[in-house]
Amino acid sequence: MPEGIFCNKTPVNTKEALEAVLGDKGGKQYYAEMQLLEVDKAKLAASIKNTCKSRTRTWLEMCAHCGLCGDSCFLYLCNNRDPKQVPAYKIQSTLGEIVKRNGDVDNAFMQHAMEVAWSQCTCCNRCGQYCPYGIDMGVMFGYLRGLLYSQGFVPWELKIGAGMHRVFKAQMNVTDEDWTETCEWMAEEAQDEWPGLEIPIDKQDADIMYTVNAREPKHYPEDISEAAVIFHVAGENWTVPSSGWEQTSLALFAGDWEACAQQVKHVYAAIDRLNPKRAVGTECGHAHRATVIEGPFWAGRPDGLTPKPYLHYTEWLAEALREGKIKIDPAKRIKQPVTLQDSCNYIRNYGLKEITREIISYIVEPGYFVEMSPNKEHNYCCGGGGGFNGMGIFRPQRNRALMTKRDQILATGCKLVIAPCHNCWDAIRDLEEEFKIGIKWSFLKPLIISMMIVPEHLQPKEEEE
Amino acid sequence: MYQLLTGYVLWLVFAVFFGGLAWRVYTYIKGLDWKLDRVPYGYHTAAGVKGAMNSILSWIVPFGSQGWKVKPIFTILFFTFHIGLVVTPLFLAGHIVLFKMRFGLSWPAIPMLLADVLTVAMICAGLFIAVRRFALPEVRIVTTLYDYLLLLITVAPFVTGFMAVHQLGGDYEFWLLAHVIAGEIMLLAVPFTKLYHVVGFFLSRGQLGMDYGIKRGGLKGAPMAW
Repeated sequence: MPEGIFCNKTPVNTKEALEAVLGDKGGKQYYAEMQLLEVDKAKLAASIKNTCKSRTRTWLEMCAHCGLCGDSCFLYLCNNRDPKQVPAYKIQSTLGEIVKRNGDVDNAFMQHAMEVAWSQCTCCNRCGQYCPYGIDMGVMFGYLRGLLYSQGFVPWELKIGAGMHRVFKAQMNVTDEDWTETCEWMAEEAQDEWPGLEIPIDKQDADIMYTVNAREPKHYPEDISEAAVIFHVAGENWTVPSSGWEQTSLALFAGDWEACAQQVKHVYAAIDRLNPKRAVGTECGHAHRATVIEGPFWAGRPDGLTPKPYLHYTEWLAEALREGKIKIDPAKRIKQPVTLQDSCNYIRNYGLKEITREIISYIVEPGYFVEMSPNKEHNYCCGGGGGFNGMGIFRPQRNRALMTKRDQILATGCKLVIAPCHNCWDAIRDLEEEFKIGIKWSFLKPLIISMMIVPEHLQPKEEEE
Repeated sequence: MYQLLTGYVLWLVFAVFFGGLAWRVYTYIKGLDWKLDRVPYGYHTAAGVKGAMNSILSWIVPFGSQGWKVKPIFTILFFTFHIGLVVTPLFLAGHIVLFKMRFGLSWPAIPMLLADVLTVAMICAGLFIAVRRFALPEVRIVTTLYDYLLLLITVAPFVTGFMAVHQLGGDYEFWLLAHVIAGEIMLLAVPFTKLYHVVGFFLSRGQLGMDYGIKRGGLKGAPMAW
């Protein structure tokens, strides 16, 4: 059975293998090898038998072919209503065929399915909302990704991404040492301005264990110090784990369920070890999805709950503002038209729509907040969800997908977009780069820091002349 | 022939219809898997039931969901079709008389005029749904011959029934017999084709509602605004 050196059915499990596949710049050899990759039909049939159960089968069989899902899909809308972008068509012609043929499909079919699964669906789950039967094609595409991944048909970056979690328990090859060093460095830097500020590592029994997205230590360390400053001002008893701090899961985008389980168990182990009252995750959508919403199931927890209450950053922030732990200087509130990006992962799929709007009510001068249309759980994907932001071969499709969000933002007339999600934040940055519509975008943390009232005792002492 | 088809055969058809649907419900529920579906069945029951009800009710009420609201024409066609389909046969005086004769049960009937209106409206809606299937590109691409066949199976008892009741098309005996056979074919088709959505709708909508009612926001006290 021909298997490539890089493109094969074996996940990346070692540092050496990871470095090797990373060395294949842009996945040139990887995709060349994919042309020859054979489908293990027996294995595929066995996977279907074991994992394609009544819910998925009913969704596939019962679909009335009414086409109502078309208009619900932003990729259908922004691709000139191409009928091939109708969600029902996309899933029936890929997963539907694989199940119907019981895995008897060839290489060309699998490559096509890969393209559809990763460039024509961001797993935003909006179609399920608009289907009379509640057929959630986003969920099915997630399932299809798993089947494709197990056969080696996965975009290069995501094979690497899943491998990163397997090897480093973090994406972007951030090690635990990199992480703790970054925390120490950020604490040191911030102490000049914030005397007494700490980023406590591995503190037992804290009120909050804080977890992040690995790109924060990798590319945006200021995000960590901003979180520290806000916890500091709020007077929180908090900590970060030295290991198990990474909350994201490229394995989720890749459909590597085994790596998903490993990753989330690693975070839960940190909770067990440090015994905090609660955990709080950073401003990220899919990280929350992976660790809090889907994670319990991967970790084998039938009640679907995390070992300790696990809050999205917006939930903690809304609470801190509500309880007065953080006070906003009314004079510094946002006084320009501003809109809010609802992240699919924790708005549609976790119900935090009112929480984010509560935050808005504290930080935006009344009259300046403009809702996107549609919004809340009906909002469109940013255009970069489900791994779409990070795959080279599907970049043109991703850039086209950004048009929906561009037009939604333009329609609000706002020049500032609050995007409390790393993926959305990236997509909005990229759409500005691509279309130059003259907007700015921000996480919540820097906005809060710019307008919070700092209690006297926390203020830096004036240097004596 | 008529005696046989509305006697023993009808018994058999009902047995297959109800038995088949019960089997559908059973296999669906049996096949649910908390780990694969990532829904905590068996936990948070109150939230789950609430979510399921919210999901089903939003979609069973005309214009109850966002999905219906954004498609007003289809929504009207859809409900006209389904209301005619369910109400007419269940409350038609002729059916009730027959039922009383065969099974000894009886219930109030709807006026004949209403039955006629519902039937004609249902047939027209069915026609438009068929036209929509090839007129709209986003529907055409997912439509197969099977979809038209199912539509035909569903509409046939109504067309033949209307012909028989109003003694159109000459041969009353023929249309009556055709009606009985068409009706029985439809009932038999339900559990074996995707017409099983008569129960499947409730299962599937309920399942997703439960998913949202528990995991995807329900436990956060934020019910999905379908």
